[in-house]
Amino acid sequence: MNEWAIEAENLVKKFPRRVQTNDKNGGNGAKASRRGLLGKRKETTWLTAVDGVSLQIGRGEIFGLLGPNGAGKSTTIRMLCTLLEPSGGTARINDYDIRTQANLVRQSLGIVLGGERSVYWKLTARENLEYFASLYHIPPEIARKRIDELLKRMNLDERANDLVEKYSSGMKQRVAIARSILANPPVILLDEPTLGLDPQAARGVRELVKELQDEGHTILLTTHYMEEADQLSDRIGIIDQGKIIALDTPAALKERIQHDEVVHLEVSGWHPEMAAELQGLPAVNSLATRYSGQDSLWEVSLQTSNSRSILPGVLERVNSNGTRLVNMNIDKPTLEDVFIHLTGKALRD
Amino acid sequence: MSVEVKELPVIKNLSKPSFAAEVRAFWSVVRKEWIIFRRYPSWIIALFIWPIIFPAVYVFTANALAGPNGAGMAIFKNAAGTTDYLGYIAIGTTVWMWQNVVLWAVGFALRNEQLRGTLESNWLTPTWRYNFMLGASVTQLVTMCVFLIVSALEFWLFFGVRYQGNPLLVFLVVLVAIPSIYGLGIAFASLVVTAKEANTFVFLVRGLVMIFCGITYPLSVMPAWMQGVARWLPQTYVIAAMREAALGGATFAELAPDLLVLLGFGAIWLLIGYLMFSIMERQARRTGSIGHY
Repeated sequence: MNEWAIEAENLVKKFPRRVQTNDKNGGNGAKASRRGLLGKRKETTWLTAVDGVSLQIGRGEIFGLLGPNGAGKSTTIRMLCTLLEPSGGTARINDYDIRTQANLVRQSLGIVLGGERSVYWKLTARENLEYFASLYHIPPEIARKRIDELLKRMNLDERANDLVEKYSSGMKQRVAIARSILANPPVILLDEPTLGLDPQAARGVRELVKELQDEGHTILLTTHYMEEADQLSDRIGIIDQGKIIALDTPAALKERIQHDEVVHLEVSGWHPEMAAELQGLPAVNSLATRYSGQDSLWEVSLQTSNSRSILPGVLERVNSNGTRLVNMNIDKPTLEDVFIHLTGKALRD
Repeated sequence: MSVEVKELPVIKNLSKPSFAAEVRAFWSVVRKEWIIFRRYPSWIIALFIWPIIFPAVYVFTANALAGPNGAGMAIFKNAAGTTDYLGYIAIGTTVWMWQNVVLWAVGFALRNEQLRGTLESNWLTPTWRYNFMLGASVTQLVTMCVFLIVSALEFWLFFGVRYQGNPLLVFLVVLVAIPSIYGLGIAFASLVVTAKEANTFVFLVRGLVMIFCGITYPLSVMPAWMQGVARWLPQTYVIAAMREAALGGATFAELAPDLLVLLGFGAIWLLIGYLMFSIMERQARRTGSIGHY
């Protein structure tokens, strides 16, 4: 048996897009344009969602795949679980090829995509699990015992016969996770497993992920929550614009910028030109901004090798042209700052 | 890098799926569809109200056109071969309603899963995917049988329709009609998952059936070219065979030609349904459209 539970080799996914154009011959590598029904000229361009991703994930490892929206995380997961056909490259899950042994791949995988919506709300938790156990071809006598065991484990046994629509979000997510591990698959793919959960429910899911690792499962996890990735993952891959731009343990990733400091600012009246001005200051290595969601407050993170030297310049620029500094602190870098350093944007952009 | 693993998980299903396992999966789909169907109680209203409301429009129109004391009936008999215009309309409209409900229910089976967010979790299992389509069709067929029985009873009670034929032959016509009616529904389901929209197609198909298949009038009143089109629609033969079996007291030998044509149509439509499903599945793998709303 191969030591890797998941091996991806140069995975590529391109999606065709039809766009209107004035160019008769088509530009930018597009196919020659054709006239549509209404006489408008259209051409096919290709959007590269995943651009040569190669990964090796060891058996029993928790691997976190991090990236902003549209970076290619979900497309990668969808190719690994056979929902999407790669445009190039291939991958092996539990030693089975995703292109030629799709059914064996599906038998080896437990997948949570779409969270609480991936189970039937008009069925009870038990009915859901009975249904999916049949689809996974688990013999009925084994399925019965397994369902009882999972309902108990997920603390759903007392409400196993209630309709899922009456459950809280955390309970629905637990049903979705129970569904994914019904067949006790060696590899589990979790796409944003704690998205939308309250802190207590999210903690429960994280504990469960750790337990699954202790039982020998390999877990590939995508998340928006940096602390979650930091806490759970043995290794992290950072993906941006379809490419893996960094891959290491959380500690090693943080070490890359351990000599840096991060200046966090809260600024009111922020305008985009300000970013260029601040980035022009000497000793500023990278900058990311995020709207705080209230009034006109923006959160600005500056990575610098010397906070003392840049502070006068920062204060001068921030308190001019209608912008005003509301709050400021200086921290050691976190994994989120590593991400900003590598991609130039915050994870939730 | 790899983490030390105590013991690898023992997969509970890693063997070549047996035929019995696929049959169990198929019945699970039927059971799931049935449970969900029952949990939306408005179906009971549809079951009892539709068989009265829809034909009523045509029945009252026919009453008006029949003239005083049914003076116009002779003309109708010349064209339709019967004076039982109530039964004639009831059977035509029932077949239309059957096809219409199949288009909505079977045609939307996968689309509804897509909208609920459950299609991907079904697609990710190792089950033969055609099971999802067949399972939804069988559940719909069971409810449709109840619908057909309720319709027949209501026509007898409220419209005074009197059946003269052999009930077993009527049942045989229903059986032989199933592949055509449901094959169209399955083909339709694949189209709806790809196009994400169905109203236009439903209106088109049921409009064709309504106009060309003679649900309330004999085909002979249509222009010749329309009669030619009608010969290529299986619903024309379902309606004709059902009328002959239920109202005309036809024998098996008299029905046999229509039944043979219907079996041929059924084979073609099931094949079209399967091919369209396969094309949709391949296209969905290329584009990722299975999870798209």
